[in-house]
Amino acid sequence: MSPSDRQVILELEHVSHSYRSRRDTFEHGVHHILRDVSLKLYEGETLAIIGRNGAGKTTTLQLMAGILAPSRGVVRRRPGASASLLSIGLGFRPDLSGRNNAILAAMLQGASRRQALAYLDEIKEFSELGDSFEEPVKTYSTGMRARLGFTTALKTHVDILLIDEILSVGDAAFRSKAEAGMRERIAGEQTVVFVSHALAQVRALCDRAVWIEGGAILAEGEVGEVLEKYTDSLSNTAP
Amino acid sequence: MALRADASRFYLGYLWWLLEPLLWVGVFYLVFSVILKSRQDDFLIFLMCGKLTFIWFSKAVSQASNSIVASRGLIAKLDIPKSLFPMSVVQESLYKQAAAFILLFVVLVVFGFAPSGTWWWLVPIILVNYLMIVACALVGASLVCIVRDFSMLIPLGMTFLLFTSGIFWNVHDLGDPAKTELVLALNPIAFILDCYRQALMWNTVPDLSHLALVALGAVLLIGGMLALMRRSSQYLALKALTA
Repeated sequence: MSPSDRQVILELEHVSHSYRSRRDTFEHGVHHILRDVSLKLYEGETLAIIGRNGAGKTTTLQLMAGILAPSRGVVRRRPGASASLLSIGLGFRPDLSGRNNAILAAMLQGASRRQALAYLDEIKEFSELGDSFEEPVKTYSTGMRARLGFTTALKTHVDILLIDEILSVGDAAFRSKAEAGMRERIAGEQTVVFVSHALAQVRALCDRAVWIEGGAILAEGEVGEVLEKYTDSLSNTAP
Repeated sequence: MALRADASRFYLGYLWWLLEPLLWVGVFYLVFSVILKSRQDDFLIFLMCGKLTFIWFSKAVSQASNSIVASRGLIAKLDIPKSLFPMSVVQESLYKQAAAFILLFVVLVVFGFAPSGTWWWLVPIILVNYLMIVACALVGASLVCIVRDFSMLIPLGMTFLLFTSGIFWNVHDLGDPAKTELVLALNPIAFILDCYRQALMWNTVPDLSHLALVALGAVLLIGGMLALMRRSSQYLALKALTA
């Protein structure tokens, strides 16, 4: 299925993003994160964003989610479409239990209290946190936090799921389970934007890929081709 | 839920909601009654009416001021209304303050200040006090989010208000009625503390038109801030994340 006959759910048009950091306002104060980026996200597809650290991947996701506004250009989201950004160490309140955090997260993503409560059993079961689910999140290990964050987002409904690196944590067993869960969601017409350094995962899960470097798009298109260019560039720069 | 978490952090848990204001009152009583020999009648009650309500304001506004910045983790992941963070702090403070008010009422009755008709004026007074807190919390949280340096000024401002709001001195005993008028007009906190005392201790009706004016001011400020914060949601997020 070609992406062109699907509906655009989100579009970035000539988006640039920069901000002024207060510490050296005089010379290098302005940070340019993205320069003139345009891309389209189609409904139901899984788009990968790859690139090195500091290339602007996370910022792109934050712009897509409407958390940040671009300094220049437009981000168009289909009216009513909800987007949620997932990354390691989701905004948990460390003193609250995993259960309460899950309720809070689900409600912040737009679920009603009753819906949120309905998701809970599923979340508890999938995340395999067991009794720790009732313990405060501050006692969790990084992997356990990632499990909770991932499961909460997977089981609650959002129109666009923006995933930042989150599948690359957790132990091997949970990772394969998470991947399977993702695949299920993708098959179920979930629109996903996926940021990862795990290229094998990208290859397995995504329809299309965008390679960002230094705040600009270097390549865009079918996953295999983009990955090839990206890995070529990596092997060229790293002798 | 945050209240539950808050209480679970300390050994004495919920008891701190009563203990902390009591200790504050104890410290002030020691200094101003025992050491400085305040000539104010019923100084303990007078002090409690002022201090317990002032703590509500100062703690809520100070905490709320840092609330947006402190929620960076969540702000980086979700586009949520930024006013939510100071509002939730204020809401939490309201529950804690209920304990402090009960304490105040118990002490009042124990010391022979029987509930009278003027106590009903507490309803609008507390409401206006609450509106003042919300307004200042929203302003404080936005300012600290945009320019982090404001967080240095807030404790200073609170100390300034502590001394200028007539907590341990009576605004009506300044000797010069014009000065009293000036303090009450310029400092809404001094005015609201005086309202509490009028209703609870002296069985008089507070200056209702002044109260309404303060309420109006607070409501306008809240409305303006909410609109402003909604419009600049992404700007506040950027500031919270990058500054």
